[in-house]
Amino acid sequence: MPAGNGTPRFVKRTPASDRKAIIVAEHVRKTYRSSDGRSHLALAGVTAQIGRGEVLVVFGPSGSGKSTFLRTLNALEKIDSGRIVVDGVSISDPGADLNRLRSEVGMVFQLFNLFQHRTALDNVILPQIVVRRRPRAEALRRARELLEKVGISDRAGHYPSQLSGGQQQRVAIARALAMDPKVMLFDEPTSALDPETVTGILDLMKDLAAEGMTMAVVTHEMGFAREIADRMLFMDGGLIVEEGSPQQIFQTPRQERTKEFLRQIL
Amino acid sequence: MGSQALACRSGMERGGIAVQHYLDVIVAILPFLWAGFVQTFLVSLVAIAAGSVLGFLIGVVRSQRVPLLHQLFGLYIHVLRGTPFLVQLYIFYFVLPNTGIEALQWSSETAAFVSLSVYTSSYVAEIVMAAIDTVPKGQWEAATALGFKRLPILALVVLPQALKLTVPPMSGVYVNIIKNTAILSVIGISELTRQGEISILRFPSDVLFIYGVIALVYFVYCYPVLRFTRWAEHKVGGTRVVNLD
Repeated sequence: MPAGNGTPRFVKRTPASDRKAIIVAEHVRKTYRSSDGRSHLALAGVTAQIGRGEVLVVFGPSGSGKSTFLRTLNALEKIDSGRIVVDGVSISDPGADLNRLRSEVGMVFQLFNLFQHRTALDNVILPQIVVRRRPRAEALRRARELLEKVGISDRAGHYPSQLSGGQQQRVAIARALAMDPKVMLFDEPTSALDPETVTGILDLMKDLAAEGMTMAVVTHEMGFAREIADRMLFMDGGLIVEEGSPQQIFQTPRQERTKEFLRQIL
Repeated sequence: MGSQALACRSGMERGGIAVQHYLDVIVAILPFLWAGFVQTFLVSLVAIAAGSVLGFLIGVVRSQRVPLLHQLFGLYIHVLRGTPFLVQLYIFYFVLPNTGIEALQWSSETAAFVSLSVYTSSYVAEIVMAAIDTVPKGQWEAATALGFKRLPILALVVLPQALKLTVPPMSGVYVNIIKNTAILSVIGISELTRQGEISILRFPSDVLFIYGVIALVYFVYCYPVLRFTRWAEHKVGGTRVVNLD
């Protein structure tokens, strides 16, 4: 098994239906309105669940709504209708404490989005102090620990502009983990990386999965999906077209659209 | 040949007399120019300080696109930027007192400070908003996703990055403000230009010379600020220039 740092996946995962879901999305609809009055239906009624400890891979052509769907799960995008429940709290309710929710849901972006005016170490410390209200010494200890874990401790004092894409993404993952999230959302985390650094980030994510982290990953990396996904969602036109285990999706896809897309990218 | 030497010597004598004359004029007007410069310095400093604080607040509020406030402050900025400062000054000094409201019966100093500060704030507000808008949206998103509230995002993530971007265009505005203090002479503020005009009444034949000295004093004040702009542009890197017109 080519997993990063040789960590084996000893946890045999139970099917999602048998676990209590950490995220439930029901009939989620989302329309983008541009300033010239045109509107685009990004999500046309999406219903999906993520179980605790599950690794869910979402894939599909660009414009299919997969990133939008991921971004509705921590309320980065407001939804028009439907319901999203995270860890028992309905976040689509008007009174929901979104900041609290978001601190429980880690997110990793395609373009890393590190704070440009802070060093790698400070990027991991700042949210702990501001959001988690940890004492500085504790935040510092945790930050060093996490930078070590993601393999970038030798660059702790560097600013994001002095780091490569892969290094920045490692820091971004450490920053998200510093909040001790219950679930991690990855929005095309390797799409902006050089091919040779992609593997390192994917290995890091495999390690996280092996530790039992709940993850929802939007990605085009089908080899990665085949290896670590418990379940896959294929999205197109703002809808979930097909859902199943990697084995089923890759070997016996039921929908014509899924077959066609897989033919194109594999 | 003898007559040529004579002409040359008398020319030198004339030159010597002229230099002596200009030195006399400078010595005579220097205390007044100094007093004028101090006044110019103080007015511009107050306008820059008060205008920057006011403009900063307006720019931050406007960057948040709060429905009604955004348009209201937009109107404020565009009216101030779209009218001559001289007209604004007249309105503050001559028109507002005519409303009969006690609180608007300002002295010329108050009118000068307030009008120049308000004028400054309109430019600063635009620069601050533009700088905040320049900070990539991903910075907001990352902080939001981590659970930051809006104010901590502004204070800890966006503003530290945005304020750096305001330095080069801001110093351009400051030079503009320093030069605009000359207009305050029309309402009797005894700043540099006003003091120069008084000096010209004493030495009417030296108009060109006295205005030249005044221009030099303005230049000596403004040039370091302009140099600072160039240095800051270099230091901060490619920042878009905010048009002053």
